[in-house]
Amino acid sequence: MNTVTSPSLEARHVCKSFRAGRIVSTVLDDLSLHVDAGELTLICGPSGCGKSTLLSILSGLQPADSGHVHALGESLDDMDKRALERFRLLHTGFVFQGFNLFPALTAFEQVALPLGYLGLKRDIVRARARTALDEVGLGPRMHLRPAELSGGEKQRVAIARALAKEPALLFADEPTSSLDAANGQMVIDMLHRIARRHGTTVLCVSHDPRLIGHADRLLTMEDGHILEDRRPSATDTVHPISGASR
Amino acid sequence: MVALARKTLIYEWRRFLPAVLAVGFAGLLQLLQAALVLGIFGGAAVYITGSSGNLWVGYPGTQSVDQGRGISPDVATLLYMQPEVTRVEPFLWVDGDWRGGGTGGVSVFVSGIDPGPHGLMFAHALSPSLRERLREPDAVIVDRADLDKLGVGIGGSASINGHRVHVVGVASGLRALGGVNVVASLDTARRLDSDPSDVGRPTYLVARLRDPKQAAQIARTLNGRHGFGPYRVWTAKHFARRTMLFWLFDTGAGAGVLFLAGIVFLVGAVITSQALAAAVIGSIREYATLNALGVGVRALRWVILEEALWVGALGLAGAAILGSLLILLARREDVPVVLNLPVTLACVFLVLALAVVSGLGSMRSLRRADPATLLR
Repeated sequence: MNTVTSPSLEARHVCKSFRAGRIVSTVLDDLSLHVDAGELTLICGPSGCGKSTLLSILSGLQPADSGHVHALGESLDDMDKRALERFRLLHTGFVFQGFNLFPALTAFEQVALPLGYLGLKRDIVRARARTALDEVGLGPRMHLRPAELSGGEKQRVAIARALAKEPALLFADEPTSSLDAANGQMVIDMLHRIARRHGTTVLCVSHDPRLIGHADRLLTMEDGHILEDRRPSATDTVHPISGASR
Repeated sequence: MVALARKTLIYEWRRFLPAVLAVGFAGLLQLLQAALVLGIFGGAAVYITGSSGNLWVGYPGTQSVDQGRGISPDVATLLYMQPEVTRVEPFLWVDGDWRGGGTGGVSVFVSGIDPGPHGLMFAHALSPSLRERLREPDAVIVDRADLDKLGVGIGGSASINGHRVHVVGVASGLRALGGVNVVASLDTARRLDSDPSDVGRPTYLVARLRDPKQAAQIARTLNGRHGFGPYRVWTAKHFARRTMLFWLFDTGAGAGVLFLAGIVFLVGAVITSQALAAAVIGSIREYATLNALGVGVRALRWVILEEALWVGALGLAGAAILGSLLILLARREDVPVVLNLPVTLACVFLVLALAVVSGLGSMRSLRRADPATLLR
């Protein structure tokens, strides 16, 4: 695995801690990893292990205290807030545990909304939104508002919203936690398919054990470190990662 | 581009209703207050605005039409020397004490005017037939809204400064500020004037011009002449404005009105921004998601500003409809309300400014739209 010359995401010696009053808690401790394109990488671990913090740093949502983060060959450390917004607009998609859909907008409008900010022409926005909704199987229900959709359908709209941007990086935080087994299965299959079909780097964070069998690569975290890095769908053996913290 | 602001406003109208109502009522208050101020203080200049004279000649330094002093009648000659002047007529102002009708004493302002059918004074307020009735000795006309105050009806009698007068008719649009207007012919007014120094001296001379647009130019020319005793020429528009501003600001009422307008603006802005902020907080996770997807904070601020402007427009529409109805009602009840285009536009501008200020105030809540919080 370490033969890949330019991983699409790379963290080197990243540290992050949070302060609550006089108590400083270290969430990420000198953590290093790289994530490759075209596969679904799953970060698993118990609550509070730092997996969501790692996702937010890798996706440029918040800066690390120290260390370096590179995404698609660009250093996120050197970017100011507006440059990071621009980077995320052009290259990243997000799927969150909460679907975070605007109640007033139809599924089609939810997906088209971020595309408008990309400066795309109206026809292209429409075509992309339709294609993305078709891909998640919501073409016939694209004119419904969130209140008229089930939980699984809402999450599929959220995936379509991320997918329509045609991002090189797709981040998903606990995407199946609010869903039942069937919908959870459907969502993870979709994320997997997006990685394979579009060559997207899909980084998913979850403590849902049902997802493990669907990941191309599984990173297990605990106490701000990566304990294990393996490929569950292949030989199910542990692959130590280059430059990992331990 | 998906019209997020508009669609949210329509779909979640209950959430925005308090903001729309706050803007609407603030707008309505500003509008009605402006209409009342213009109506009430404009009433101080009714002698000028209700007449068709283009130039007013009075004592130099006169700050308001009700404070005139006698000028030489010879100034009329000077006026007639201007080829543009087609008619000159004197206007006599007499302060009077009305007695009768069991009302005790009422302070009245007697306007002595030329009752001829082509007379300039109160040409807009009195019909030719009504003016004709003033030719009768000791005949007076009052505003119909003042009849109760004066304790008389049409045909009734009373006395002014000890002289008997009788009411030969009523008109509307003659209400005065701080007293009651009584219109009489010049002859009658002279008989009522008890001040010996006023004898033969009109308080004002009012002139009509062939081309009213020349008024300012001719006033300037006339003000440069000497030799007819102290006098000053104003255009009717200028003198009406001077009178109104005097009443508005030198009486302290204007400061009160401006203070109230400021309070209305402040209260409206506070309520509106709170309501808008609540609406923003209600969608904060969605805004944070958009920011995660790379939609800049600046673009999100625009969405909120757009919502604020829609709220302003809707509030304004409500205020306009309700305001028009209330103004119609007020006019029917003889409440002095007047609206002109500049003041209406100023109100519109104020309401939209209120909406924008509220939008800017509510933007602070966008700080909570931190996408990193979606991951915890």
